Amino acid sequence: MATGNSNGQAAGAPRVMRSPRSLDVEITSRCNLRCKYCYYFENPQVEYEDLPAADWLRFFEECGEAGVMDLSIAGGEPFIREDLRELLKGVVRNRMRFALLSNGGLIDDSIAEFLARTGRCDYVQVSIDGSRAETHDACRGRGSWEGAVRGVRTLQRNGVGVAVRLTIHRYNVDDLEATARFLLEELGLNSFGTNSAGYLGVCQRNAGGVMLTTQDRQRAMETLLRLNERYDGRITASAGPLAEGRTWKDMEEARRRGDEEWPGRGHLTACGCTNSKMAIRADGAYVVCNMLAHAKLGRMHEDSLVDVWQRHPDMMAMRHRHEIPLGTFEHCKGCEYIGYCTGNCPGLAYSMTGKINHPSPDACLRRYLQDGGKIPGIETGAPAGGGQLFPIMNGGLG
Amino acid sequence: MKPNEKPVANPVVVLREEFDDWAVLFNPDTANAVGINPVGVAVWKMLDGEHDLAAIVSEVKEQFEDVPEPVAEELDGFIDNLAEQGFVGEETPAQ
Repeated sequence: MATGNSNGQAAGAPRVMRSPRSLDVEITSRCNLRCKYCYYFENPQVEYEDLPAADWLRFFEECGEAGVMDLSIAGGEPFIREDLRELLKGVVRNRMRFALLSNGGLIDDSIAEFLARTGRCDYVQVSIDGSRAETHDACRGRGSWEGAVRGVRTLQRNGVGVAVRLTIHRYNVDDLEATARFLLEELGLNSFGTNSAGYLGVCQRNAGGVMLTTQDRQRAMETLLRLNERYDGRITASAGPLAEGRTWKDMEEARRRGDEEWPGRGHLTACGCTNSKMAIRADGAYVVCNMLAHAKLGRMHEDSLVDVWQRHPDMMAMRHRHEIPLGTFEHCKGCEYIGYCTGNCPGLAYSMTGKINHPSPDACLRRYLQDGGKIPGIETGAPAGGGQLFPIMNGGLG
Repeated sequence: MKPNEKPVANPVVVLREEFDDWAVLFNPDTANAVGINPVGVAVWKMLDGEHDLAAIVSEVKEQFEDVPEPVAEELDGFIDNLAEQGFVGEETPAQ
């Protein structure tokens, strides 16, 4: 019986799938909106160019041959591409499924009906940031809430799966209860996801006016945890206040009990994405992740997708990131939460410190407590040391 | 599976070889996926409308060492299971 690794990988290298299961595809660098916290635009290391359909269609053939299973298609705004149908037919022809990430404003019955007919659309994720135009449009521009809601209703009417992502920021943090009611009761969604504005792209310029303060963050955590109980877990999060509210409570309880280090913690283990997926920019550059859009690994049609995936040194380095102990960082020195911490998002780590291999200060529990934040459900005093919300920006740590 | 049946893989299904010789069969029309071992991969590649169960069993015995005796029953069940999930069908003769 045949056994062993037939990928030609060196002994001791991490086990790598032969090809990515999924790809995050930025199909366009154009967008009909200019949101104040957009992670995508205003990255000085990114070339904002679009490729013709023919290039994408040839690339989708390569994906199909490599056994890629699904594409998460974003931008920019994917529905702005006049040739979107042709592109999606290419995805289907090459035996893949897809999801689309959108602001919803350009979705009409015709394209929604087309999506339903493909039979391959997992869902369209639409961003809705409030229960009313005032809170949503504050960061996304006038008319965008109406467009997003119309987009969701159009997708629902045509039988296309809809996911909604709520990005929490300074302008909607007090609208969360009404937003949950609107999304779950009025729009009838099964669930919706949450995150918060992160220090990336356009948001870096607007951080002071848009991003949550420590007090906002605490309020968001308390509200979302309460709402999630009321709505039987129908509010989800892998990052942002809801996720932090849960994780930080567990971490504090572990610290009080004196738990030993949790499995998979105490190192830079936050992101396992590079074991199953990677990303392609609108200009055809392969990158580790959309949040690390500067980290070019090669270029579509010049470099083989499978070669880049299996062998690029930066891709391999990301897969070794989990071996780096948090205790080696100045940022983490003396922290009692190290054994329960993952170091958090590498994209935010890079945007805030200039280093990928560094913990992200953004979701740092110790810093949150030093800034006067409280963990919902836990009575705790602030550890000694004071601090600011963003003490370290690009290149700040030596 | 009937005795003389020569099953054929659903052409839309993707054989995604992942680690070593293990693989995932993925049906993009239904989003169903199943993991298969190296023997499963070899069997999948024989679902071409040319091999019946006896031929598949014989090939498996040739390709792999220490194949346990109830292999015919196991492979029959494996192929039936794939058929139930829409991964495998039978070629319809031209009218």
